[in-house]
Amino acid sequence: MKPRNVILGIDGIPYELMKNLSDKDIMPNFKELCKNYIFLRLKSSIPHISSVSWSSIITGKNPGEHGIFGFTDIIRNTYSLSFPNFNTLKCKPFWHNKPSQRHIILNVPSTYPAKELNGIHIAGFVALDLKKATYPMEYVEFLKNLKYEIDIDTSLAHEQSQELLFNELSRVLSIRKKTYQSLWNEFKWDNFMVVITSTDRFGHFLWNTYENENHENHDRCLSFFREVDDFIGDIYSKLGENDTFIILSDHGMESVNVNFNLNTFLEQEGYLKLGSEGKNYNRILKETKAFVLDPGRVYLNRSKRYPNGSVSESEGKSILDGLKNSLLDLKYEGKKVIKKIYEKEKIYHGPYVNLAPDLVIHEESGYQPKGNIGKINLFEKDNFSGMHNANAFILINKDIDIEYPSVENIIEFMV
Amino acid sequence: MKKLHNANKTCWNCPAAKLMGNIDFRACGQAGKLNLDADEDQEIVIECRRRPELGYFEPNITFEQCPEWEATDFGYILKNMKVMILGIDGYLGWTLALKLGKLGFQVSGLDNYTRRDCVMEKGAHTVIPIPRMTERLKAANDLLGINIYFRKIDLNDEAKVREFVDEVKPESIVHYGEIPSAPYSMADLNHAVKVQNNNVLATLKLLWIMKDIVPESTLIKLGTMGEYGTPLTGRPLFEGLFPADAMIKWDDREWSLGGETTPRDPASYYHVSKVQDTFNILEACKYWWLRSYDVMQGVIYGVYTEEIASDKRLRTRFDIDEWFGTVINRFVSQAVSDIPLTIYGKGEQIRGFIALNDAMQCMVRLIISPPEPGQYDVVNQVSGLYKVNDLAETVARVGINKFNLDVKIQRLENPRVEADTHPFEVVSKKLPRVFGFNPQISLDEEIERMMRVLREDEIKSRIDQKRQTIMPVTTWQGEKRKMKELEQYNPGTKKAEGYNPIFDT
Repeated sequence: MKPRNVILGIDGIPYELMKNLSDKDIMPNFKELCKNYIFLRLKSSIPHISSVSWSSIITGKNPGEHGIFGFTDIIRNTYSLSFPNFNTLKCKPFWHNKPSQRHIILNVPSTYPAKELNGIHIAGFVALDLKKATYPMEYVEFLKNLKYEIDIDTSLAHEQSQELLFNELSRVLSIRKKTYQSLWNEFKWDNFMVVITSTDRFGHFLWNTYENENHENHDRCLSFFREVDDFIGDIYSKLGENDTFIILSDHGMESVNVNFNLNTFLEQEGYLKLGSEGKNYNRILKETKAFVLDPGRVYLNRSKRYPNGSVSESEGKSILDGLKNSLLDLKYEGKKVIKKIYEKEKIYHGPYVNLAPDLVIHEESGYQPKGNIGKINLFEKDNFSGMHNANAFILINKDIDIEYPSVENIIEFMV
Repeated sequence: MKKLHNANKTCWNCPAAKLMGNIDFRACGQAGKLNLDADEDQEIVIECRRRPELGYFEPNITFEQCPEWEATDFGYILKNMKVMILGIDGYLGWTLALKLGKLGFQVSGLDNYTRRDCVMEKGAHTVIPIPRMTERLKAANDLLGINIYFRKIDLNDEAKVREFVDEVKPESIVHYGEIPSAPYSMADLNHAVKVQNNNVLATLKLLWIMKDIVPESTLIKLGTMGEYGTPLTGRPLFEGLFPADAMIKWDDREWSLGGETTPRDPASYYHVSKVQDTFNILEACKYWWLRSYDVMQGVIYGVYTEEIASDKRLRTRFDIDEWFGTVINRFVSQAVSDIPLTIYGKGEQIRGFIALNDAMQCMVRLIISPPEPGQYDVVNQVSGLYKVNDLAETVARVGINKFNLDVKIQRLENPRVEADTHPFEVVSKKLPRVFGFNPQISLDEEIERMMRVLREDEIKSRIDQKRQTIMPVTTWQGEKRKMKELEQYNPGTKKAEGYNPIFDT
């Protein structure tokens, strides 16, 4: 049998959770795989969010090359917030780079809307329309028959019912499993990639049920990960002997202590001036030097890039230096909230670096940077219990010679 | 440089923006079905049909910022904007088609020649001759380089309209496809039914079609100032809706009327059909987030726009019969043919008026400045208020002074049920203040221009052939009879009486 690649993504799950739940036999299938194969920490993207990370995973490229720097962006010459999608991706994913091979791509985030390929593509979040998420279109009926869902109904989380939300996570996970099973023998493929995304939703809304072993829903949490482990075991049982099998996450997750609103900080420090007219970033006035997009991307209000831009090339560096110093001093209850600040030239390379944020905040554990505009309070808590971190994981059934691989290396591991 | 009137409109107004849904980005982004009432954490996102590479985005790019909108004298115009004109063969429809085509719009239109048939039914004809549609289209192409995509379709034929709309996917629909005649609707039961069927039901069908196929398109619907009637209390004719500070007081109590639709007091079954349209459209905007401008147009007159005046083959129709001839057009044709100008009743009726060229300017400005989803708005499209007596005097004066005509005026028994003396205050602020409308045509100037055209031999001869169709014989009782002459007099011999109009712009 010719060698194939099978990639199972588990969105938003850190190395530590996989290790912990394997050690405790909650995830016996994964534990077994760990014994036989390589299980490593995987360096997430900067910033560590799904859209950037999955774009690097499927292209093998740096954000400066694929052009995705976050879930949001600002359209050039405007302050209109855009939500980049698959149309915005500047590099080809592996399934378009290997047109002679056949692919089945299921539920990979940030690949909406689906585009023509040699195979089947059903895009993952953020996807607004199942028809546009599906290629070829004939599979829409197939998905409808499976009662396919792209995402869970998170309104249940906002209704404060953890039980209902767990049921929803399990329901959608089970549909995903049925879907992948139905597609597995659809035709002879070379690459099969499926991503479980319920896990990220679990992390954001229900992380406390994992970390707090005394939580009333801790057992329910463990049973959810047993279901994830069954998914892993099910795929493993189907593999051929020459198949490369990769299980990975795009970023990690940890408990959130408090959110800090970076734009509020910039307002307080005089870097950001907002008018009362307009919505979101359209409120930015000419006096603004810098603003932040979620989660912690700092952009200079450059004169050649934005309608009210006022920062010239020559003054950019000194503004950024001053801003970095102020940001690194930011404290909550006496503790620093920012661990490190990256400058774009040091982390990004490629033709689209000019579109990148000037600075990217790397937060201290438990402190979540936010880019909301017009918030009054610098620090805020909300009802989300988990936040991203950079500690993703990878498990691979063959030797690799990198000790701490990153999301940009995954393509290299495929046959 | 002064900002163009639509510079600050955004994707929210743009027909190229397809509303896609809501995204909550607090936790990696959850997509939800479109909910325009959602809270602020649920960002509404759109996709630009013209710039799909932008992905989904919040609809905040201004027309000034967007490269798809280009600055012109009329405001920012969406490149190659697709406009469908319903009733494209008519007086207004054809004129607008050429205007838009010349400005670079992609113009399509439908018509089933109802207007030609109705005028023929009266035994009349357009006194300015117009060719068959195929020849008109060829002339537009040959002389102006405009390609108009035309289909002969009855607006009541839902299947065909649906197919055409689906094929063209218009970004704006201008609805001139109604029978625009009060006396026609009062002629008898059959005519009343025909008008309401053609006007009300076809428009209702159109709304459902738009909901299904082009919900981002704007319906620019021709209403009429006649929907409001002429309130004898002198209450101003607001623009469709009461202003925010309007109050109603009764029994020592007060309530706000702000934003509510103003009362309608139609004056014929035709006017009733327009009122019914208004409510049908208002509801569609409420139920389905369609968007519409309801244009309460004053009485139209004139023969001029740059395009229709550029060649005889491009001219628009011009009716003078009692059913379809509007008052100034009728007066001018009477003046050039030595027929006394016919005033109904006392002649102290006041109406809003607008010249053809100015009306076209308004329409272009409305088309390029679409409402927001769900927005129903009304504009009073009027450039002057005149008493019928005064209009007759003006037409006579221009005829006598400029063309040495012998003009008489006669008063006839009024065939209509209407107040022939009434106060009249019209509010028309939105077009000049919001849409940058600047009237270009004076009444005297356009009357002079009309006389020049109508005095051409062929046209004058066509007026003479149909002079009997000008005189009113259709009463609001559904009888056909000759109206009694009340008096005949020379222009300039009557003292002005009645109310003076008040025009709030």
